[in-house]
Amino acid sequence: MLTVDNLYAGYGASEVLLGVSLKVKQGDVVALIGPNGAGKSTTMRAISGLIKPTGGEITLDGRAVQGMDASQIAMLGLSHSPEGRKVFGPLSVEDNLLLGAYSRLPKFFGFRRESAEDLERIFDLFPRLKERRLQSSGTLSGGEQQMLAIGRALMANPKVMLLDEPSMGLAPVIVEEVFATIRRLKGDGITLLLVEQMARRALEVADYGYVMERGKIVVEGNPAELQKDERVLAAYLGDVAA
Amino acid sequence: MLKRLILILGAEALLLLALAAIPMSVNNSFLLGLLTLLTIYAILLIGLDITVGYLGQVNLAQAAFLGLGAYTAALAVTRFGCSMPTALIAATAVGCLFGGALSFPALRLEGPQFALSTLSFMALTTTVLNEWESLTGGAQGLQVPRPPLFGAMLGPKGFYWLCLALLVFVWIAMRNLLSSQWGRAFEALRDSPIATDAMGIGTLRNKAAAFTLGSGLGGLAGGLYAFNFQYLQPQVFVYDLMVILLLGVVLGGRKSLWGAFVGAAIVVLLPNLLSNRLLFQIFSGVGFLLALTAGVRGLSRKTTRPFHTRLQSKDLSSPSASIGDPALKPGFPITPSGMTNNLLIANWFQAVAPVVAMGMLVAGGIFTTNTEDWRKAIFALMLFAVMVGLPEGLMGFASGFLTRLFHIPPPELPEAVPLDSVLAKKETTGRPLLELVDLKQYFGGVKAVDGVTLTVRSGSIHGLIGPNGSGKSTLVNVISGLYTPTSGEIMLNGKPLPKGSLFKVAVRGVSRTFQNLQLFSELSALDNVMVAMKGIYRSTLPLVLLGLTRGNERRAGGDSLALLEMVGLKDECRTPAKDLPYGAQRFLEIARALARRPDLLILDEPAAGLAQPDVNRLLEIIRQVHNRGITIILIEHHMDVVSELCDRVTVLDYGKIIAEGKPDEVKRHPRVIEAYLGGANADS
Amino acid sequence: MHESVVAQMVVSGALMGLVYALIAYGFQLTYSTSKSINFGQGELVMVSAFICLSILNFGIPYWLMVPLGLLCGSLLGLFVERAGVRLALEQKSEGWILLTIIIGLLFFSASENIWGRDDRPFPTPISSEAIQLFGISVTPVEISIAAGVFLIMGMIELFKRKTLLGKAFEAVSADRDAAELMGISATRTVMLSYSLSGMVAALAGILVAPITTVGPTMASALVLKAFSVAVVAGLDSGFGVVLIGLFLGALESLTSYYVGSGWREAPGLILLILALAVRPTGVFGKAQIRKV
Repeated sequence: MLTVDNLYAGYGASEVLLGVSLKVKQGDVVALIGPNGAGKSTTMRAISGLIKPTGGEITLDGRAVQGMDASQIAMLGLSHSPEGRKVFGPLSVEDNLLLGAYSRLPKFFGFRRESAEDLERIFDLFPRLKERRLQSSGTLSGGEQQMLAIGRALMANPKVMLLDEPSMGLAPVIVEEVFATIRRLKGDGITLLLVEQMARRALEVADYGYVMERGKIVVEGNPAELQKDERVLAAYLGDVAA
Repeated sequence: MLKRLILILGAEALLLLALAAIPMSVNNSFLLGLLTLLTIYAILLIGLDITVGYLGQVNLAQAAFLGLGAYTAALAVTRFGCSMPTALIAATAVGCLFGGALSFPALRLEGPQFALSTLSFMALTTTVLNEWESLTGGAQGLQVPRPPLFGAMLGPKGFYWLCLALLVFVWIAMRNLLSSQWGRAFEALRDSPIATDAMGIGTLRNKAAAFTLGSGLGGLAGGLYAFNFQYLQPQVFVYDLMVILLLGVVLGGRKSLWGAFVGAAIVVLLPNLLSNRLLFQIFSGVGFLLALTAGVRGLSRKTTRPFHTRLQSKDLSSPSASIGDPALKPGFPITPSGMTNNLLIANWFQAVAPVVAMGMLVAGGIFTTNTEDWRKAIFALMLFAVMVGLPEGLMGFASGFLTRLFHIPPPELPEAVPLDSVLAKKETTGRPLLELVDLKQYFGGVKAVDGVTLTVRSGSIHGLIGPNGSGKSTLVNVISGLYTPTSGEIMLNGKPLPKGSLFKVAVRGVSRTFQNLQLFSELSALDNVMVAMKGIYRSTLPLVLLGLTRGNERRAGGDSLALLEMVGLKDECRTPAKDLPYGAQRFLEIARALARRPDLLILDEPAAGLAQPDVNRLLEIIRQVHNRGITIILIEHHMDVVSELCDRVTVLDYGKIIAEGKPDEVKRHPRVIEAYLGGANADS
Repeated sequence: MHESVVAQMVVSGALMGLVYALIAYGFQLTYSTSKSINFGQGELVMVSAFICLSILNFGIPYWLMVPLGLLCGSLLGLFVERAGVRLALEQKSEGWILLTIIIGLLFFSASENIWGRDDRPFPTPISSEAIQLFGISVTPVEISIAAGVFLIMGMIELFKRKTLLGKAFEAVSADRDAAELMGISATRTVMLSYSLSGMVAALAGILVAPITTVGPTMASALVLKAFSVAVVAGLDSGFGVVLIGLFLGALESLTSYYVGSGWREAPGLILLILALAVRPTGVFGKAQIRKV
């Protein structure tokens, strides 16, 4: 469903990604882990179009999308829940969710009717959001905002979803909830690329894993094996004498 | 070196000669009047260029200072019977006074707010000049007799000599100022106010100085203006005039004395150009052809020219605007809907818009009956074409062209000084240098730093690590003064460190680099470091204006060169910072931070994005700094760097310290591993 | 007797202040989506008013002229965005300040030549005969100003809250990148904001022209005060502009009465400088945290 081939990207003079290649098959949850500064979020942003790659190819459902505007790529069925959640603070929970489906809803009238079913589905998944549906999203707690960001990305019925560092800044208990949600989505058959600093949690839910370090993929493979792989620990904390 | 001196000074001398000789050879009072006005406007625009070119702000108040200076000089003569020198000094002083006063409210502002503030002042001045009839005569106007100069009455020629002499004086003084540390400081302000503060250069005071200088020159020009026309009316000093002045500065070329002069010439000559239909048609035709050639070339080569009045090389969330030829990057397929699309769109507008604008000028010249009536539109179209198509202005373009044509060598480099005399080895005592006591930084409900107590010993390299969002950068931002802590104490050498002020902290001997580079992008590598020397080699303003501070300049340059050599950038010292490769930019920030000979150096992710060879270089540099007794706090994600360098490591998570000790101890600490990799699943 | 004169001044001034508020509202629209405003907005108001005058002179009835005038305003706004703002925004520079000033100058010069340099009266079917309302005499024209301002502000707010496109507008204002990720084109939204701002400016011209007449003075007089209102209230303050507009209008009126009509501009200008000095984000605006 999503293929990234030899991707190069960066900010201004700094080249962050130095030839990243990965694949996300339909229905899979793929984890992209690695230490901070490795380029995981940069990879996400290059895929979703927030930054333009300087080299390489990105293919979404058979179609080349590298270099397109983010809004165009979103219209093609890619949903990205960004690092830091980035909910639309002044807008209500419900409005945020509605905007998630922007690409397929009528723009002036009738959008409530069209989206009613999808909204119910999301509220089913996140009952707390339903309680707060008219509340301004900036006043939600960190965990609730993360749920909202995920729900918002799901509203688009995306072909592929990118989820960037959902655990960041959240208390451990809330992180539990987030990953429970991810497990439930996995059961529903979602195609998901998950970026996480918390390697163990990510590998627990994944079907396949990639480890990034300094702009390149250094290890990839079966999550169970990666959990035991010394190289993963080394990527985070340097070489550790046994 | 001599060649450069001869060519540049020679050109200026020629100009001066021409300006002096014309009235002597040609007996034309109209021409004399034009030349006088030219010198007056040149002084005015040089003043305007300080804020527009060097500070990079849109200053809409300069016409107000012209008016204030003019009326001050007029009143000095009519009310107090002053002589010419006194009146002119009064005019300049009033300009400085109001400029200084306005700079206080305008000081903290950037961009549109600054422009609005100056615009208000402009309108306010017009109102006051109009309404305060008892003082200014209001709309009726004010007659201004020309006072004697040292007893002698000045005729048109005499007055012209005076204006010319003043222009020469201003030119020399401004050249001395703007090529000194002051000029560099002004440019640094434009490129990164945060870094300017962090290098111990007060942004506020330097901005005020720049603005006051510019307005003082405006006042002086105003005094001369009054004595030139000998009749003043408030409706002259209005917004319309201001736009024309901006036209002059932008068209002539920002950040350039010659540019101000050329701009003044255009402003003065323009009305005459317009009244002669044929001349205008030729002029607009030539302009159109130039725009067309430039446009066609631009489109075919796919170059975008930077457009900035303020440059930001640190923005991380959007594609960079100055990308070279994308086809040369590895493996990049240029698809029709691909990346080049966006570039091309910005591109074609930049190439086509000036052509359209100049085309409209040509059409106007042919079809309208009276070009004078369309004066404002003509200015507007010219200014538009220049801003979009030739942002560096005529002189900016010409100086590059002439430099290549005559092979003018760049200015000579100062002599590099041995590193020891720049960064003398300090005694390291091992005693606590920096102490944090229960430091807290809350942003609303977010506890970024939640009670950190930490001691950094003199002479050590102290690492600060932790997962994303753990509060490392916030902590360092609090220490260096970017944020004011919510509570807690910070002590440097046993004395409290000022809080919440980058400037004060820098002055006390704490220097830093930034996670997102904060270089002075338009300045050369050498200038970047020299800016930071301003606090070390202080020169007072009057001495600078007179050009008597060359010694200090040389010493600052020598020191800076030594620092650049230490980080391996000596050969690139003339390269503009924005054109350096990424690794070099990181090293440059370190060199710059060392200029103030700090006791404590904070490095915020210095290895971020560096390739392995550069990482090795970085290790060497940091070791060298360490050897000279400078204490270092190092935030890093690259664990090898931390292990190699740090004597001691503190680990943060959720704003609190979870471990501290030697690198090896900390790496094996279970809580640290858990923080980084995440805990095991609670279910299993 | 004296009191009622003062009350009179306050009310008339406040009603004029609503026009400043309306233009300031237009500034907010473009600022929220793009962090930019049209420094030549005054000239845009003037040109729209002149175009409306010409439409009327062609014999087109007033009630038809209004929507046409609004359409012209939005087209002019789009022109400003395309020619003066987009390039600067793409390059992350503030060149739009100078560029919008230049475009304003162009508009000014064009209108000088097409319609002349004199102030022209603006015909309106609304009567100028004063009626008594709670002891204050107001003219229907003045009432129409209030009605027009509230009507259009209300309509735009409704648009922003009730339509999906309007919500997308708010989304771009809140977080541009996140909005793009939803499939919302930030560039198109900025275009929309400028066209709305132009439309709003055109309406301001139509409403106020019968009182101030249409001409070169209209441009400069209105826009600086609109700036004052926008900055003092805060460029993200929503309806705060209405309150500040009422206040400034009344203040101007009183200044004109007590100090002299030439000085009426002064309070607004002084307020602007002070507001920028003391609290640049405005009375109702929100402060920002610096990130490095």
